[in-house]
Amino acid sequence: MIKGYAGRILDVDLGSRSFAFQPLDENTARLYLGGKGYGTRLLYDLTPAGIDPLGPENPLIFATGPLNGSLAPQSNRFAVVCKSPLTGGIGSAACGGSFAFGLKKAGIDILIVRNQSATPVRLEIDGDRDSVTFLDATDLWGQGTRATQEALGKGRNHAVIGPAGENQVLYAGIVSDERIAGRTGVGAVMGSKRLKAVSVTGTRKLELEDQEKFNDYTKWLRKLFRSHPVLGEKLRRYGTMGIVNTTNARNILPTRNFKYGHHDDAMSVSGEYLEDHGLVGVKSSCIHCPVACGREVAVEGAGRVKGPEYETAALLGPNLEITDLRWVNEWNFLADDLGMDSISLGVTLGFAMELQERGLLQAGLAFGDATGVSDMIQDIAHRRGLGNELADGVKRMSERHGGAAFAMHVKGLELSAYDPRGSYAQGVEYATTNRGGCHVQGASMYFESTGPLTIDPQSLRLKAEIPVVQQNLACAINSMVLCIFTTYGMIPKQVHALDPKSRLYRTITYFFERSGPLYRLLMRLKLAPVTWFEKWLTYITGQTFTSGHLQEIGERIFNLERMYNLREGIGGAEDTLPHRMLHESTFPHLDSGHPLDQLLPRYYEIRGWDPQGVPLQRTLDRLQVRT
Amino acid sequence: MSITVELTYDLAKALGSRRLELEGTPTLRQVLTLTRDRFGAEGAAFDRLTRVTALVVNGVIASRTHSLDIPLQAGDRVSFLKAAAGG
Repeated sequence: MIKGYAGRILDVDLGSRSFAFQPLDENTARLYLGGKGYGTRLLYDLTPAGIDPLGPENPLIFATGPLNGSLAPQSNRFAVVCKSPLTGGIGSAACGGSFAFGLKKAGIDILIVRNQSATPVRLEIDGDRDSVTFLDATDLWGQGTRATQEALGKGRNHAVIGPAGENQVLYAGIVSDERIAGRTGVGAVMGSKRLKAVSVTGTRKLELEDQEKFNDYTKWLRKLFRSHPVLGEKLRRYGTMGIVNTTNARNILPTRNFKYGHHDDAMSVSGEYLEDHGLVGVKSSCIHCPVACGREVAVEGAGRVKGPEYETAALLGPNLEITDLRWVNEWNFLADDLGMDSISLGVTLGFAMELQERGLLQAGLAFGDATGVSDMIQDIAHRRGLGNELADGVKRMSERHGGAAFAMHVKGLELSAYDPRGSYAQGVEYATTNRGGCHVQGASMYFESTGPLTIDPQSLRLKAEIPVVQQNLACAINSMVLCIFTTYGMIPKQVHALDPKSRLYRTITYFFERSGPLYRLLMRLKLAPVTWFEKWLTYITGQTFTSGHLQEIGERIFNLERMYNLREGIGGAEDTLPHRMLHESTFPHLDSGHPLDQLLPRYYEIRGWDPQGVPLQRTLDRLQVRT
Repeated sequence: MSITVELTYDLAKALGSRRLELEGTPTLRQVLTLTRDRFGAEGAAFDRLTRVTALVVNGVIASRTHSLDIPLQAGDRVSFLKAAAGG
């Protein structure tokens, strides 16, 4: 077996309460690494088109990659892959915490959970004894994710769902420690199987090809991360909420259900404000992470809990016209404890408020008014009353109540907290990403709006190239499986010290904006490992990885996801943005929204797809994507 | 009508106010001067806190669209922006 892998897949059938260990396929690991890539390959091969995402035939795949268990910084994540009940297409989400580490220690690269249990069940996996125990989980059913993990105890690593997953809220997530695999409704699939929790233990040691080189390099890298302006300073000090003031200044902070990109009081939900008002401590809730971007806040009745991330603060804050951190902290805790994606939750609540404002729905919710929101979040998780409708997300809500023009989703997945009208590459990424409107499948906005050296976000230059390169890289990173925040370290600290008002800054961005084909060519080179992803993979597996290799692997995964979606009837017509994003402007110098129609053909061409967004056969052949 | 100047968190904390309203249609250069004036004897603190800071006009980084000497328009929003962040 290639080093870095445990070499085993654990295949569990909840219907027959049986399990089997199978060997990991080396060729698939070479082509898809692991994590999301390997998981997508398995999903494609194990299921026919058209299955019910909440039916027994939808497998729930927990997948680690070659970096997990290696102690590389930020290698604490696992991917979850299944058919999404929210979008009907590829479902995938990644999660920090400690579960990935536990799986690898148990000698398991991938866990497949098939079929459904008739009654609530939980799994205890012991990797040292190669045993899987099916335990009754009736006593835990209905419990929050925190109480559930407390009841399961320390000594094992857990992945659990809360009431939202049990009740199949279409944007329910799976929680490990205080982190969540939030997007695309993977928790609803776990709930449909009546699987409350998976606990894993083991003491196996991961074998690396060159442990000494890996250790030396990692030691050096930890120092670099700690002194880096983003990883070691800003994220460490303010958490991800540290960008609220940035997105607000750039006019891309979702406000009032994305009607605006700016809120006058956004500073009150920023990381800087939190530091002075209510920060209790730092939460290092992802194992072996030197960044520790988690914040700790106090919530009445719950005590010290993990604080909101940027997405949560923005979408449960200014997006609802709320700027009181106490509410945001409480709603964030509720979402985590009930086990649901706070991005989809915030967008759905904003949509319901706008429906109410327009007289299309009587939800008892209003922008700028916290009254009733906590109760509604509980109702969503338990599918009570109107909460039962909000539990289905904005796409279905708009089909029932109207308001499609301001239903903020792509392919059924609610948008993240970056308004694409002020970040054109991010808009292309939202439109084309296979799982739907999400930011962590490329994070293109970093090059336009939130990074230290940003190109003009509203020029068309490089706006098709950046999403392609970034989506490919993100696919590879989510298959190692690594935290995407490690990519921020690629921009050296000297660049962060550049004054945006300086001539040098303008000169660099001028040439970068015009680098198009050269930029793509550079990323495709297979000369030598440069970044830490490449070096780690090389030291761990013994095979040489370069940026070109990672681009190729990522492109392969992205195209396989695309083929999965096409098989489910999701194609180019769904590569779009909400009407509001395309036709309403939030910038005084522009009279329309995102110019997607001008960018999409170029994006398809770079991808090697036809004008309808279907991969050409020669593209699939080049990438060895078997369909 | 006036120009709204939004400050970074550090500037706001130092000045005790999150934003300033400037009358008329000053240039960006004047905005810098007028904002610095609000710091009085603490002008050096303003210089330090704005050393690596972009000026953003209505959400767009100013150096791309505005010369420092072109007058702003009534109703414009000027933000001091400290970049280098995650997400």
